[in-house]
Amino acid sequence: MASHDLRDVLNLPSDHSSTPRPSKKQRTGPGRPNLKGLAREVQNLGGDNPIAIVPEAAVFKKRRVISRKPAARWELRPFTNSARGDDGALILRHWRRKTDHDAPPDAMEEDGEPGPVENAADGERQVEKTIKTEDSTFAKFNVEISIPQYNDDQYRANLERSDWSKEETGYLLKLVQDYDLRWPIIWDRYDYSPQTFPVNGEAVNGDSTAVVPVKGEQRSMEALKARYYEVATVMMSVQKPAQYMTGPEFQLYETMMKFDPLQEEARKEFALNTMARSKEEAREEESLLLEMKRILARTERFKEERRELYQRLDYPSTDADINTYKTSTGLNSLLQNLMNVDKTKKRKSIMASGEGVSPGTAVPPTAVSEAGPNRRESIAATGPSHRESISGTPVTPAEPTPKDTKKKGAAPAERRKLSEQEEQVYGVTHHDRLGSGPTFRYEKINKLYSHKSGQQQLRITNALGELDIPARLAMPTAAVTGQFEVLWSAVTALVDLRKVSDRLDADIKVEEHKKAERDKARGITNGGGDASSRDRSVRKDGAGPNGSAEKSDERRTEPGTAETKPETRPRSQRSQHNDLQNGNGGTAAAEPKPGSGGPGEGANVDGAPAEVKEEPGAGEREKLGPRPSSSGAHKRSASVLSTISDKSAKRQKK
Amino acid sequence: MAPPSGKRVKGTQIYRPFIYGTTARPFDANTNPKPPGVPDDHTHSWTVFVKGIDDVDITYWLRRVQFKLHESIPNHVRTIEGTKGKPFEIHETGWGEFEITMKLYYVAESGEKPQTLYHHLRLHPYGRTEEEKEAMRLSGDDIISWTYEEQIFNEPYDAFYDILTSGAFPVNSGGGGGGGGGAKGGGKGGKSKDKDDQQAQQPQRSPGGVLDRSAMIPLINRPGQPFSRETEQVEIQKLKDALVKVEELTKQIAEDVQQKEARLRELRADAGIKA
Repeated sequence: MASHDLRDVLNLPSDHSSTPRPSKKQRTGPGRPNLKGLAREVQNLGGDNPIAIVPEAAVFKKRRVISRKPAARWELRPFTNSARGDDGALILRHWRRKTDHDAPPDAMEEDGEPGPVENAADGERQVEKTIKTEDSTFAKFNVEISIPQYNDDQYRANLERSDWSKEETGYLLKLVQDYDLRWPIIWDRYDYSPQTFPVNGEAVNGDSTAVVPVKGEQRSMEALKARYYEVATVMMSVQKPAQYMTGPEFQLYETMMKFDPLQEEARKEFALNTMARSKEEAREEESLLLEMKRILARTERFKEERRELYQRLDYPSTDADINTYKTSTGLNSLLQNLMNVDKTKKRKSIMASGEGVSPGTAVPPTAVSEAGPNRRESIAATGPSHRESISGTPVTPAEPTPKDTKKKGAAPAERRKLSEQEEQVYGVTHHDRLGSGPTFRYEKINKLYSHKSGQQQLRITNALGELDIPARLAMPTAAVTGQFEVLWSAVTALVDLRKVSDRLDADIKVEEHKKAERDKARGITNGGGDASSRDRSVRKDGAGPNGSAEKSDERRTEPGTAETKPETRPRSQRSQHNDLQNGNGGTAAAEPKPGSGGPGEGANVDGAPAEVKEEPGAGEREKLGPRPSSSGAHKRSASVLSTISDKSAKRQKK
Repeated sequence: MAPPSGKRVKGTQIYRPFIYGTTARPFDANTNPKPPGVPDDHTHSWTVFVKGIDDVDITYWLRRVQFKLHESIPNHVRTIEGTKGKPFEIHETGWGEFEITMKLYYVAESGEKPQTLYHHLRLHPYGRTEEEKEAMRLSGDDIISWTYEEQIFNEPYDAFYDILTSGAFPVNSGGGGGGGGGAKGGGKGGKSKDKDDQQAQQPQRSPGGVLDRSAMIPLINRPGQPFSRETEQVEIQKLKDALVKVEELTKQIAEDVQQKEARLRELRADAGIKA
């Protein structure tokens, strides 16, 4: 006590003084509320010094409530498990609480041991058991997955891949079903070898046994997954176009479609690497990451500061040529200008930070470098300022971007991002290059035509007509037009090939004629022989009379140039018609007779001397009289695909 | 046409399927009696129309259609303004076939110039072959000449883009506004589930299952709606078959050409020796 007072008087800090009070509180705090009634009174007797009586609360366990009901009855009851798939062949038994309604039989049963009774009374029991055997409660966890189904046609149309045979795909799907999409197991069990190969391999020779493992090469889990997902997505979309899928369906579809085996492999590899690294490596990595974060934060701050500085400087946005400032006088004048501007704008520039002055992207670094020294009022300090300007370069171009995005950002922010399904439903697609404005889908096909010459257009239309493709597509959807374009290019190629073929025909004929003429020159033929040779030529291929070398040359080059002329439609049709009537080498006959009436005529006047028919033959007609006709063997079908008659018509024109 | 505000949405293409064409029916005392006032020489009544597939509304992108009929028809240039849910159509009578010019005017937000389509009015059975004609003759009184077409908007303006990409799904903010990102969740779940959910949130579907304001095509054909995924598949199959045929032919001819080239070479070589 005394010491306490003394300390108090002396105003000494006492370390004890603080402790008694809390201790008192501590004593009263917990002490008081616990005690009640007499106990408290007794406690109080002791005053400040508590009596060491610890009131003991006797806590007993609660009395167990014993139910008066008889003990519950349990019974050993048989059950099946439908998940086993053995049709209830295996019947196991388990203990079950007995329910009321089957009490009577139980009462009987209880007399003997359950097992023997069951065995003994098997006749009736059997019936009862079949009724009673319940399905295991765990059967419901046997979830059958549904794997995609396809038939041959669908497979051929959608699922053909060079590296997956149909059999192997089937095998994969079976495994998937067997192992419930548990990929590690599927991959582990996956052991596909083509059916035919092993037989051959063993039977024939050692070489082909070597082929077998190559064929059934290890596929990675990702490859298996990729194939399965591919099949699944394709079949999903075949059965139900994406536009019609429900939300969850579409999500599934999307995730399966986006499966990227490469990425997946990379991911696994990363994970493996992460697992395999040592403690030191992990620590190092962590510290590196930290370091990087710090650096990034610093650059961020640096940039921020720099930007602020630029705003304060309020440098002018000059698009003008900086050459004027390269001389010292120019620099001086610039300095003056800037100083003036600075004075007038000083306050404003700080207030209006950011707005109004747009930083010129082109020149700012140099402008800054000049503005910098001016601020410090020393032009001589070019060294540091220059450095700043250089380090500033990467920053300044970066600076306008946030502003730009802010400006542009208004639109994209408003334009919400469409989900893939929405894009499908709204028919939104993205393309690299588009001419803006409205068009119609069919216009694309019209464009295909318009790129071709009239002649080619006609041929292609004819070819398409023969293929029973209507002139106008019934439903020019994106898919249909795409398919049509494929067909289109194939048909164009075909038509071109036809042309080449026809040209070759003509060339061959010319050569044959030349040959024939040579032969003739060697032998002794003349005069009326023409007619007879003509006759012969109709029957015999290539036995036609001569053609001049000059002429043949001309003819060889001719098709190339003349081909593209689109006119001569009526003529070609007519000559084609004649082809049909004559049925023989009319087409060929027409070819070498420019300007003459037509192939029909040629064939009709068969026996007459050749010269008679050829009088109209223009200037290019030269000394060598008899024209080649012939090649009956070279008969054309009336196919519209054939283009020879068109060409012949053109030659006639010429 | 006010100049549209905003920018074009780059690299984006949006399409909308629609149908245009004519339906004609000969006058008949019982089934299609001639209304009074129709000139004697008129033999058919016909309708020319532009409408959405499965009769869905298209007035949200198509504002009006100008039909240019034959000059002999009184008042031959007619403009039909769009009414929501109704096709753009004209009913007329006549005796002759001619080409109808249809000029499509888009809604103001699109900022696009009108585009022109041509359609030949058919009053009599037509087809490439007699059988086709016969089939048409037998199929009923109506001579149907309908064309499926897809209107493509390349790089639409922002405002128009919003119009074209909203409205099919219930959006929390309510329909055509095209607001907020909430559409995504709404769109995802909103397809089949909402069918029996609240009426207000339910997407509008045509009988064929086409969502209102969408670019969807019905899954299957129904009477009077010949254009569907089904038809599309048939057509694709046809094209594929044709392609196979063409490839075969090409192969044949290619072989042929090779043979011929060989023969030509032979002949030329022969000539060379001889000469």
